[in-house]
Amino acid sequence: MPHKCAQCGREFKDGSTDILKGCPSCGGKKFLYIKRADLHRDVLEEKSIEEIAAETKQEIIEIPQKAPERTEIYDRIESIRVLSPGSYELNLEKLASGDDMIMQMGSDDKYIVDILSMAKKKKEGKSKKNR
Amino acid sequence: MSFLLKTKQRFAKLFGGLFKKKQMRIGIYGPPNAGKTTLSNRIVRDWTGDAVGPVSEIPHETRRARRKEGVKISDEKGNSITIDIVDTPGVTTKIDYKEFLEYGMQPDEAVVRAREATEGVAEAMHWLREDIDGVIYMLDSTQDPFVQVNIMLVGIIESRELPVIIVANKNDLPDASPARIKSAFPQHPVISISGLEGNNVDELYEKMIEYFG
Repeated sequence: MPHKCAQCGREFKDGSTDILKGCPSCGGKKFLYIKRADLHRDVLEEKSIEEIAAETKQEIIEIPQKAPERTEIYDRIESIRVLSPGSYELNLEKLASGDDMIMQMGSDDKYIVDILSMAKKKKEGKSKKNR
Repeated sequence: MSFLLKTKQRFAKLFGGLFKKKQMRIGIYGPPNAGKTTLSNRIVRDWTGDAVGPVSEIPHETRRARRKEGVKISDEKGNSITIDIVDTPGVTTKIDYKEFLEYGMQPDEAVVRAREATEGVAEAMHWLREDIDGVIYMLDSTQDPFVQVNIMLVGIIESRELPVIIVANKNDLPDASPARIKSAFPQHPVISISGLEGNNVDELYEKMIEYFG
């Protein structure tokens, strides 16, 4: 039997995994398990999904929402984030761990990877070994 | 015979190179405006009569690591160490040019300063990784020591197993609280000084000889 989005009424096929990520149309997280015969009752009888749920004694299921995990600055890949010209955020652990530079420009996922700095690190390692 | 001699010489050279006593390189680290350059200048002036660099109340005055080599520090008992002093740019996680505008700096000048300061922090971290044998971690004792940058940087230094002396600076100011710094870093020696006035720097010198020697 199918599900219906409690917010916009979009129907989902039986066993559809789409609802696990929330409704693709409205982003709703609540769904009602509904009998095929009752599938269009909400539109035909001009009832809300909640009313249908009360009548059919089905519980509206809610997709558990993961709290958006805030990425700690130190878990991120960039060494320096350029927020705007003259404003920087520095990732000290990254800077302490190596010379390779990855810079993030603004808050978008735009990165500048300094390949030269990464090559330099290897070379230094080599020369140290030779010493 | 000559082959043996040559081999012996070669080995002597090799081992000599390996065991040659390197001069300790001591990095002065800490957040901006803790008084790193003031202390560097004092150490260098006290023992060589020279100076390291200019100081300013505007943060990030030091934007390149500066080094003074072969500074010999001795105590009354005749113990001494010869070290290289490295004055580093203030380490922070955020640099914003707007901060400098409050000090009356022109915007374009402030943007350049911010960029240079960012490069400076990267350079300071590079030094910490490559060239530093011991650290003097400077803190302004009128400020809260429990901020992320201090905890993290001391953590990074500890993870590199470098000896650290924590300096609680600015003890000449009325709201200085070296005790707060002592409680923040109980695992390291904490010396309360005034780099500006020279209060208690002798104790720091003694500690440096004991700890880095």
